[in-house]
Amino acid sequence: MIAMFRAVLYTQWKWSRLIVVLGTVAAFAIPLLSLQGAARADRGALQTQDLLRAVQSWGTLYPLLATALGLLMAMAAWAADHRGRHIHALTLPLARWRYVLLRFGAGFVLLAAPIAAVLIGSSLAVLTATLPPGLQAYPIALAVRFAFAVFVAYAVFFAVSAGTARTAGIILVVIAAAVLVQVVASIANLDVNLFAAAQTVLLLGPGPLAVFTGRWMLVDV
Amino acid sequence: MSRLLGLVVAASLLASPLHSQDSLMARLRRQSDSLLGSWREAEKLADVADSLEQVRATAGSDTIAVGGLRIVVNPSPLPWRQAAELAWPVIDSLYGSAAEDLPQHPYIFRAVDPDSGVRRAVLHVGVEVPWDLDLRATTTVLLTTVTAPHFDPALANWLGAALRPTLRPQDERAVVFVLLVTAPAEAVRRCFLGDIARCKDVLQVGDSTGLLARWYVTPAEREALVTEAFTDYFARGATAPSLQRCRQHHDDACTTLLQSLPPGTLPRPLPQAAGILLVREALRAGGRDAYRRLVARPSAPIGERLASAAGMDIDSLVVRWRNDVRAARPKPLALPWWASFAAIGWTAFFGFCALRSSRWRL
Repeated sequence: MIAMFRAVLYTQWKWSRLIVVLGTVAAFAIPLLSLQGAARADRGALQTQDLLRAVQSWGTLYPLLATALGLLMAMAAWAADHRGRHIHALTLPLARWRYVLLRFGAGFVLLAAPIAAVLIGSSLAVLTATLPPGLQAYPIALAVRFAFAVFVAYAVFFAVSAGTARTAGIILVVIAAAVLVQVVASIANLDVNLFAAAQTVLLLGPGPLAVFTGRWMLVDV
Repeated sequence: MSRLLGLVVAASLLASPLHSQDSLMARLRRQSDSLLGSWREAEKLADVADSLEQVRATAGSDTIAVGGLRIVVNPSPLPWRQAAELAWPVIDSLYGSAAEDLPQHPYIFRAVDPDSGVRRAVLHVGVEVPWDLDLRATTTVLLTTVTAPHFDPALANWLGAALRPTLRPQDERAVVFVLLVTAPAEAVRRCFLGDIARCKDVLQVGDSTGLLARWYVTPAEREALVTEAFTDYFARGATAPSLQRCRQHHDDACTTLLQSLPPGTLPRPLPQAAGILLVREALRAGGRDAYRRLVARPSAPIGERLASAAGMDIDSLVVRWRNDVRAARPKPLALPWWASFAAIGWTAFFGFCALRSSRWRL
């Protein structure tokens, strides 16, 4: 089983190495760039708010990067199988669920590189910066959050990619129906707000996308 | 003889303007007396109008008494009594023994239907509230509209806001913590680091001379203040050249411009929330009579009044305030434990969905 995993990991690495390398570079650079200007020891009291503002602005890139990595890695994981109409996978002496699990696991292993890059980049940025009194750095919390966001994004897109065109069609039809109901409700002046409900379910509390929301701050009070 | 005549003439010449000045003074005094009389009459009429309006506003209303609270309300489904029972301990803990004077300031509320478009009689006394508020919202209404007893203009001016109870004291401290850390002033930063003299400066409870140099210590801060907060004010007229020089990093120009501001217009480096928290700290330290002591001498300097209320010297009070604020650091931005489990759960769920895909079911 380990040999099979190695083989799957190797092939997946070949297909997605460009994504992994670029994602890792970006994940390493964002924390360093977000704290640029904080390295000066002579920075006055005026710059504290500017620093927090810059960190907050750069912080919006972490969930975007996590989403992009999840999407591209999931697509790369299934692209070859889709092109070959899954014939190679069907010829393997392996149950489908095991095969999917190997692909899923290989993707997680490869995504460890950008996650580690966020941790190393954040730690390095914090070590080289001179933070104003009262501010604290959260490199580990940021890296953990990034890891969860990458994993959730990867799992969502992996499930969508693993599905059939029919499944994708059903999902699209459900979304279109929701939009249509909302439009009709608005025209009929009914007190129905599906978008708000969907936002609550998806983004708040224990929703699947809740990990993407909030402020992604490497440095904060 | 001619000298005597000259003296008489000179005296009469000198006396005539003095005489006319005396008559001018008398005329002005009469006018001011008349104005005072008119003002007193107007005040009496206003009192009569107020009392009539109060009678009109409270007609057919009930009075709910809980502790020192007197709430005059029209019949409605609002949970006034329960709200008053929740609000009274909070109000009592802030004003202490002075809360006994609150019956002099009864609340007057009129519950109204928020969905009704029917035109209502306009009342000039009391507050209108929608009658669909829940208990928490009704309690908040009582807490945020309570009249602080014996609240004098000097204290109001220093605080910049009314002193009212808060439902979330910890949040208030956290807000002040963030202000201390992020305020764009070196004096505030030094206060955060433990310089109590600076804390007294930025809280305006110590020596009030030379506030500009005490509040905005560095030339960069003074320049930022002029170019960001007062650009429009100084951009016209005689101050425009100084503004240009200030923009070219000439600190003397910036300082001169800021010193030319009317008294009381120099922005405080630390917002009012910090002062309100200091008063709360003094009242907490001083016991039940602390508020009475705070409002006992309206003409005394604020620092003395706070020290008297707290029963300790102002330096000790400011140290307590600072320690209190520093202990209230907001929670870090780490994910809550349940969010981590939720993320792992959703990852597993979507992974399971992928395993169950129908693609190979030929």
